[in-house]
Amino acid sequence: MPEDAAEGQVVELPAAARVADVAIDELEMIYAFIYSRVGNRADAEDLTQQVAMKAIPRLRQGAPASAVRGYLFATARSVLGGFWSTRLGLSESELHEDLAMAMPQRGYSEESVERVRRVLEQLSDNYRRVLELRFLHGYSLKEVAVEMRSTVGAVKVMQLRALRAAAKVRLDE
Amino acid sequence: MSERPEDRVDRIVGALLRGRRLKLRGGDAEEKEAVVMAARLAAARQGSQLMSPAFRQRLVKELGATPRESWMTRRAALVAGLGVVAGAVGGGLLGRSLDGGGSQPSAAAGKVVQPTNGRWIDVGALADFAPGQARIVRAGAVGAFVTRDGDNGVSAVSSICSDLPCELWWDSSQHALVCPCHNRTFTAKGSSNGTYKLRSLDVVQARVQDGRVEVLGT
Repeated sequence: MPEDAAEGQVVELPAAARVADVAIDELEMIYAFIYSRVGNRADAEDLTQQVAMKAIPRLRQGAPASAVRGYLFATARSVLGGFWSTRLGLSESELHEDLAMAMPQRGYSEESVERVRRVLEQLSDNYRRVLELRFLHGYSLKEVAVEMRSTVGAVKVMQLRALRAAAKVRLDE
Repeated sequence: MSERPEDRVDRIVGALLRGRRLKLRGGDAEEKEAVVMAARLAAARQGSQLMSPAFRQRLVKELGATPRESWMTRRAALVAGLGVVAGAVGGGLLGRSLDGGGSQPSAAAGKVVQPTNGRWIDVGALADFAPGQARIVRAGAVGAFVTRDGDNGVSAVSSICSDLPCELWWDSSQHALVCPCHNRTFTAKGSSNGTYKLRSLDVVQARVQDGRVEVLGT
């Protein structure tokens, strides 16, 4: 097909290019999904790239977007499992609750943000406060200590305990 | 001296809050639940994330995907029984094939649905079309969302998504046309919403004649 094909001319792109086009849009959602679990851009990019490289060659040519999405999410869960397993020695069963959650039905990581909000609601006032100030408002330990009328050392311990408590919260999906 | 658990976790939290990669040391696994939760909280602070343009471009290149701009202009829609011509050149063709009076699509609107042997079909009284609300109509084989423009004008777009062959629906709360197949949305005028644009919806020709709305159908 000539590069200067006239506007309006009926053309057909190779099916492989079509799948990759659909996948690029779907990978936006995969990126958000991964980012919401690793919390930083560099790791999220590496893992998204791994998902793309693993999944794209195996996608059926001409696959609808819905099928592309399902396959990409399954691959993303596998890649994330490998990431945490390598970094922390977490087993698949330990990751099950976190990673086996259904594909987000709303755009990007809104569901993940909502989930975090619901987790925080389950915590005691002090634990919720320390995590909100530190993570959601970006306070330093010292600023949290001033806000909570405590010491840096005590806040550091409270932060650890609050994170442990938050990790134990089980939400009814 | 071994690192205390609270110091270990705060080191990781500090890195996450500065947007750094998760670099873990031996022993960090002892606080694995807290570390996983810290990563989720750090992500929640940033809210929904999109790929950076540079990373997206790199992925496109690696996947061998068609660059989006090229895809938007060259991708053709072929609807059974309908010829689709580009809006940019469609004006002249329209002038030859129609008797005028229909809404004239802008160049930015993309393609115009031009049924072979098309005819104007009455789809209702203008008064039945609320301003700003897209309403689905059928003009033979042509499905369209018609929107009232001002007191006496109308415009219409195809009821089929420009990306996947799925029928759109009008979500009045979002004030958008929604594709059920992949949750992408369009304005009532057919422009793609969101950061990354899909091709605009095909334009369906519509006009007002004696207080009645007519759509060029089959």
